[in-house]
Amino acid sequence: MTLTYRPGDTLAHRLDPRTKLFVQAAFALAVFARTGPRGLAAFTALVAGILLAGRVSPADALRGFAPALPFLVVAPLARTVVLSPAGSALPVGVDPAAAVEPALASYRVLLVLLVSATYLRTTPVRESRAAIERVVPGRLGRFLGVGVGLVFRFFPLLLADLRRVREASNARLGDRRSLPDRMRVVAAAGVRRAFARSDRLALALRARCFAWNPTLPELRFARRDYPAHCLGVALAASAFL
Amino acid sequence: MSTNAESVELVGDDVVGNVARAALFAALTGAFAYVSFPNPVSPVPVSLQVLGVFLAGIFLGPVWGGASIVLYLVAGAAGAPIFAGGSAGLGSFVGYTAGFLWSYPLAAALVGAVVHGVGDLRDPADAGLTRLVGGMVLGTVVIYALGTVGYAIVENGLAGAFAPDALARAFVVSALAFVPFEAVKMAAAVGIVRSDAATAE
Repeated sequence: MTLTYRPGDTLAHRLDPRTKLFVQAAFALAVFARTGPRGLAAFTALVAGILLAGRVSPADALRGFAPALPFLVVAPLARTVVLSPAGSALPVGVDPAAAVEPALASYRVLLVLLVSATYLRTTPVRESRAAIERVVPGRLGRFLGVGVGLVFRFFPLLLADLRRVREASNARLGDRRSLPDRMRVVAAAGVRRAFARSDRLALALRARCFAWNPTLPELRFARRDYPAHCLGVALAASAFL
Repeated sequence: MSTNAESVELVGDDVVGNVARAALFAALTGAFAYVSFPNPVSPVPVSLQVLGVFLAGIFLGPVWGGASIVLYLVAGAAGAPIFAGGSAGLGSFVGYTAGFLWSYPLAAALVGAVVHGVGDLRDPADAGLTRLVGGMVLGTVVIYALGTVGYAIVENGLAGAFAPDALARAFVVSALAFVPFEAVKMAAAVGIVRSDAATAE
């Protein structure tokens, strides 16, 4: 299950994407600087407010980050294992107290993931792209903006290409071959498709006079963005106090 | 209504081709994140992302290979579900496995630099086996070094991350189960370069 944009009219939807990127970055900075339980409690309240501003359910948000979750649990558990503990005959012991610090670290990551989920749910791709082109100056920004658009466009096609190759290979008993063989078959087909598609794309871009100065969608800060800017500045400042 | 009177600045032909390739290899690396094989020693499956990083360096060279993987990261940050297991967003850049993500562009550029040397790109099929494998081994070292340090920083904070036992634990938990599969990916990459699967130019 993947987190994607859902249209809506919440406060988080109406904020400028640059504002949202800034608050996200400031939040990550602040939460990594304040590591005590008290600071984390305050950040939890803030995250609850942010989720509410985007009408994002925490369960949905966490499901979107399912692959990251095992590490959040394993990290504190791994810490409790002590090799050759003092005063014990066994070579391995368990020290539950050692898990406290990494558990707080895991919780911190969880908070950042929830804020990031709110951004993904409430920001359409074209706004993210416009924000990137405005924040990063010059040709680099244009390259990143255009490139991000193209990745969004071509990723599903290449994924479908790879799926077809795997199904075709499995139908011919390809799944009984060795692991390196299976990887090579799928990846070689992927590379072939990527080159074929990029050649056609380059031709199409040239034919349409691909330029460094395209027309960008309009972005403008509104009055509601200013309190969010203040929040971002406060968060960033709290990291250094 | 406003009009814009500045002149159009066309992108040069070479650059258009490279931008298209960089974008397609970024998308391919994202699609590789979904191609997973069960890992007998860890609950987290082995995916082919790193192979995408290797191939970007090998086929696009140090500059555009690195740029391609930067695009991969930026598109993922903007919300394309292309990181491990289909996750996305800025949050992925500060989690336990964030160090791996940060290392990918460096690794792609390094693989490209070793395979192509400085100067013009060459056909990767002409590069010797030593260069290919050497480049990928160096890339793997960078990926796992930054991945391990990233995990240790998230767990212990910047100050405590570089203690030997913190690094050792981070390596065991986050990296050890995946290292053997890198050799398999390298073999696959060499097989792809040596086959006529790809015609780089």
